[in-house]
Amino acid sequence: MQTIIDFFNYFSNNYSQILEYTVEHVQLVGLAIIISILIGVPLGIYLTTNEDLAGTVLQISSIMMTIPSIALFGIMIPILSTIGQGIGFLPALIALVLYSQLPIIRNTYTGINNVDPNIRDAAKGLGMTTMQRLLKVEIPNAMPLIMAGIRTATVLNIGIGAIAAYIGAGGLGSLINQGISRSNNTMVLVGAVVVSILAILVDYLLKYIEKRFTPKGIKN
Amino acid sequence: MIEFKNVSKVYNGGVKAIDNVNFKVENGEFVILIGPSGCGKTTLLRMVNQLEDISEGDIILNNTSVKQSNKIEMRRKIGYVIQSNGLFPNMTIEKNVMIVPDLLGWDRKKQQDRFNYLMELIGLHPDEYRKRYPHELSGGQQQRVGVARALAADPPVMLMDEPFGALDPIIRTKLQEEFLQIQKEVNKTILFVSHDIDEAVKMGDKVALLRGGKMMQYDYPSEILHHPANDFVSEFVGQDRVLKSTSLYSVKDLVDEVSLDSYHEADSAQPVNEDTSLRIVISKLLNQEADQLVVEDKQGNKKGKLTLELVEKFLHKEVKETPNR
Amino acid sequence: MMNKRISQIVKIAFWIIVIAFFAWTFANDLFRPIVEEFRTFTNLLIQHITIVLISGLLAIFLSIPLGIFVTREKFRKSEFWIVNIANLGQTIPSLAVLALAMGFLGIGIKAAIVALFIYSLLPILQNTIAGIQSVDENMKDAARGMGLTPAQILWQIELPNAASSIIAGIRTAIVINIGTAALAYLIGGGGLGAWIFTGIRLFDNSFLISGAVPVTLLAILIDYLFRLMQKLLVPKGLRLAEEAQKS
Ligand SMILES: Nc1ncnc2c1ncn2[C@@H]1O[C@H](COP(=O)(O)OP(=O)(O)O)[C@@H](O)[C@H]1O
Ligand SMILES: [Mg+2]
Repeated sequence: MQTIIDFFNYFSNNYSQILEYTVEHVQLVGLAIIISILIGVPLGIYLTTNEDLAGTVLQISSIMMTIPSIALFGIMIPILSTIGQGIGFLPALIALVLYSQLPIIRNTYTGINNVDPNIRDAAKGLGMTTMQRLLKVEIPNAMPLIMAGIRTATVLNIGIGAIAAYIGAGGLGSLINQGISRSNNTMVLVGAVVVSILAILVDYLLKYIEKRFTPKGIKN
Repeated sequence: MIEFKNVSKVYNGGVKAIDNVNFKVENGEFVILIGPSGCGKTTLLRMVNQLEDISEGDIILNNTSVKQSNKIEMRRKIGYVIQSNGLFPNMTIEKNVMIVPDLLGWDRKKQQDRFNYLMELIGLHPDEYRKRYPHELSGGQQQRVGVARALAADPPVMLMDEPFGALDPIIRTKLQEEFLQIQKEVNKTILFVSHDIDEAVKMGDKVALLRGGKMMQYDYPSEILHHPANDFVSEFVGQDRVLKSTSLYSVKDLVDEVSLDSYHEADSAQPVNEDTSLRIVISKLLNQEADQLVVEDKQGNKKGKLTLELVEKFLHKEVKETPNR
Repeated sequence: MMNKRISQIVKIAFWIIVIAFFAWTFANDLFRPIVEEFRTFTNLLIQHITIVLISGLLAIFLSIPLGIFVTREKFRKSEFWIVNIANLGQTIPSLAVLALAMGFLGIGIKAAIVALFIYSLLPILQNTIAGIQSVDENMKDAARGMGLTPAQILWQIELPNAASSIIAGIRTAIVINIGTAALAYLIGGGGLGAWIFTGIRLFDNSFLISGAVPVTLLAILIDYLFRLMQKLLVPKGLRLAEEAQKS
């Protein structure tokens, strides 16, 4: 009971600080996702034209995904510190972008590959150019899957973003980080709860958008 | 023997799928359940092996109410074949076929002999297929294995739900014929669901025609074709029902009923033997090449001449009089 | 032809980067702590593996039976809730789960094991349920119709057909666990995370690399072993079925 009271007390006393961390967190994740989309979606589309490369890229990015995030930071810090960027926003951003690649590339690739060959044939028969086909037929049909990949990547990034606080990237992980080092349990709990709620909310929001993005005709 | 006594079925949602159905399937009889989609064929079949409860009435299987039987034991004595063969992809063909004998505790040797016998019966080489998996077989082969699996423990009764329904027409016809041969050898009591009247007429000793859960007519195929009980039945079997019935008769049936024209060496005529179906005879006669055929018995003796008029005469007789095959 | 060339170039580039990285670490003697403090290193490694193993095994023994349980006909209603809870739980960041465990259980290895256990329950549970659900209804119907008992259907039909999915769930859980265990140091759980966080605090590249590289290799190795196991354990017939479905 006391824990809960402490929790809410802390929350109301440090409201603006928490908000600031949240904004930092969202900025880091948001920027990473935008960059990831700009890289991953075109790459995923290109891979549908090059099956050999698709196999290689998907394999490499799936190895990438098995690397634990804190270990990746551990590997990146020494490398990036050679250019004086070992700690802070940049390594965090790079890590988040790397982790987003597999879900986004894979889902884009699968989504476009899964478009019914008959539909594609029909589009060809109507005299659409490759570009028109891509924009009017293939991407809309693959949209739900692409969005799902973006959602997976975003939720994942919110979690890794929390860990990035330990390499000085700020965000909600800072609450957990400082709470542990000051033995302030309440602070740790607030950090954990807020970052969890953020992940759950974003997951729901993106699920909702995913539904809106699904063309009426292919909902089932 | 399977006896349906005032059987009704109401699903949870309130759908009355079967409405007071009564009929009997005698031992060794091959009965086809037929009717439009959603008329309750599958439901009726699944009540026999108690995959569905009976809402009202009872089904008596070999003198015992199925409601009172131990479900598991009873099902092991009933062969069950479904449209999507239901083979287990994780098991070899041998394991699939021998699953019920295995459950019944047959010894290895007995199982092996039985497997070899069944595979020969369905026309697949036992050793070639023993260690293969379902997905290495074609659709037709899978369905054959499904039949072998149902026959494995030599159950007296077989329930078959559109077993050949998913196959393409050529393979289906082939399997139908093969299965009739198998039935001649194994002589099971069979309840067989179909939605294809041609299949029903060709294969069934008797046909049970359902509509909206009610029994419309239960009779011999010739009766269903020649004496439909009501408009629904006659519409269901189609305008060409007399033509359809011709596949029920052979030249021999005709020879027994009407006398052939006498045959002279000078007549030019194609030979047919006594086992040929009337359907083929008519087709040949309508074909320009021959307006008469000469019937030969097994020894090659020419028994007489067959013309369209004779076929017509025979069919008139059959349609009017009540035949009992 | 061109496509193949590009793919090969990417593959070679990847390996060059990997080799260059290791060359660089060796050139700068970044694995020095492993050599100099080999005792500590093995202790940390054993600690790391112990946390992963205990929490993972507990999760396997709880979530597979639970997954089987909720997919039984009688408990179908609970399935919806369990699946949703499992989905929701997996969106919670791993650091948050550790932090919550520490908040309630205090600092120490116990809290770490509890956190990892709860976190790895979810993917295994989810995959067990999905695997069993994906078993073709017609197949189960045929099995029932032939007189298999519910237990026989479970052991001979459902579980073999769900095996691939269940193993995949275990793989996901264990690989995530290896990474999360590296964070367990933060709540007093020990493990190789100790060197990584020491490295961050002291700006010491050699501790960073000596902690991070073994964790990475461990995760990749375990992932590979499970993929191999998935291939070996899944009945041949099922692999054929999968291939047939793809084509
Ligand atoms: N499990 C079920 N629950 C509710 N209604 C069902 C169920 N199975 C079948 N029905 C309904 O019962 C009727 C008969 O179905 P079925 O026996 O499958 O017909 P058929 O095999 O002749 O096509 C249909 O109206 C169908 O919708
Ligand atoms: Mg049916």
